[in-house]
Amino acid sequence: MKNRLRVLRAEREWSQADLAERLEVSRQSVNAIETGKYDPSLPLAFKLARVFETTIEAIFSEEK
Amino acid sequence: MGCITNNPAARRYYRRLIVTLLLYAVTLAVSIVVFVHFRPTGPLAYALAILPAIPVIGILAVFGLYLAEEKDEFQRFIGVQAMLWGIGGQLAVTTVWGFLESFVHVPHLNPINNFAIFWAFVGVSIPVLLARYK
Repeated sequence: MKNRLRVLRAEREWSQADLAERLEVSRQSVNAIETGKYDPSLPLAFKLARVFETTIEAIFSEEK
Repeated sequence: MGCITNNPAARRYYRRLIVTLLLYAVTLAVSIVVFVHFRPTGPLAYALAILPAIPVIGILAVFGLYLAEEKDEFQRFIGVQAMLWGIGGQLAVTTVWGFLESFVHVPHLNPINNFAIFWAFVGVSIPVLLARYK
């Protein structure tokens, strides 16, 4: 899955640690998701959408 | 387990692990002392022989509790993958050793060592897994 986490973080000037704190996960988790090496579960994807005040589709897209 | 991050579930895991390891040391010492000095027989001997195994098995329960309580799904994922590496590594080593014992008569591998082999593979796999997802 492709994602726009890095862009969304940059827009808010959040570090990976900042986002991790908001999501209540480790920084390693944020990094793994951001680099596309780990796809989050649906509940975590919803949480990400809530944190960024957007939709899941605006964050994640299918890799073509 | 170096991978486990510093959160409440991880802290509980470390606390439980220390208690379980201490229990193992105590039960092992009790069993050794009783067997050396009193040479028990019958059901008591069986019970004393099994006694140190209980906290050893408890370590698995402690890790299971950690997986159940860890809220960070990525950390859970790494933990489960590490366990799979542990099981796979232990099966591979003991299978190879079994064939070596059968055909070239290497020293017998005491099944007690299975646990150490399992955790050695778990321990080695964690940094490898974390590096993969970096």
